[in-house]
Amino acid sequence: MFNYGALPTLERVVQFTEQRQKVIAHSIANINTPHFIPGDLSVSEFQASLRDAIDKRRGSKDPANGPVQPKDTNTIDFGSRGMSASPIDRNQNILFHDRNNRSVERLMQDMVENAMAHTASLQMLKSRMDTLGTAISLRV
Amino acid sequence: MFGSLDISTSGMVAHRQWTESIAANLANQNSVFNADGEYEPYRAKRVEFKTGDDRGNVGGVHVSEIVESKAPHRKIWDPASPYADPNGYREVPNISPEIEQMNMLIATRAYEANVRAAQATKTMMQETLSLLS
Repeated sequence: MFNYGALPTLERVVQFTEQRQKVIAHSIANINTPHFIPGDLSVSEFQASLRDAIDKRRGSKDPANGPVQPKDTNTIDFGSRGMSASPIDRNQNILFHDRNNRSVERLMQDMVENAMAHTASLQMLKSRMDTLGTAISLRV
Repeated sequence: MFGSLDISTSGMVAHRQWTESIAANLANQNSVFNADGEYEPYRAKRVEFKTGDDRGNVGGVHVSEIVESKAPHRKIWDPASPYADPNGYREVPNISPEIEQMNMLIATRAYEANVRAAQATKTMMQETLSLLS
């Protein structure tokens, strides 16, 4: 029941944005730490792997039902229920005198975008769970 | 998700401690006597940041130590002072108010960035909890 429609995809997005928020918060906390290189999770790797998994389910006998199991990438391990990801260096800016290449603007932008993606996914997830709840209780 | 909140809080704590050291430097920029009443010009305090929070977790940041500046004291011409050297110069703290105020700006902006990150995490947590309602 919980592998129906977009539920498994939304679950993966929520897992990814949660982990990415931690990495971004760590980069913001160390914005003035010497020799610290801000990190991030690879959004492109996650999106590519998730896309392939969705396409694989679409090509199966039951395209609207079934688990969405992305393949592991270089930096992301997709478990059956959870996910673990390794941060990559950002390298978005010049190196300052303290050997930190922070870019405050990009960090804040990524944080906002990540939070919006997380919130939107959760709202869609909640909407689908509410639909399931309505169906289970046989309410019209 | 609580890990993100811990990390942002450690960032706020570390930058607040930096702000406190800057405030101490600005307050003592003309202090020339130590707590025992001896003539010892004040030395600026510097905080050293290190990754990992003060609870031993890997994420976040903490102040690993507070060190005194090793810069030589500034000398001013004051031959009438009882604390002047044989050449008529007296040592005073070598603190630049402009640099300290600039550091204060940097620390304040970093503190605000960590507050914003904590607010974003809080919003995400509230949305997650709304799934249960």
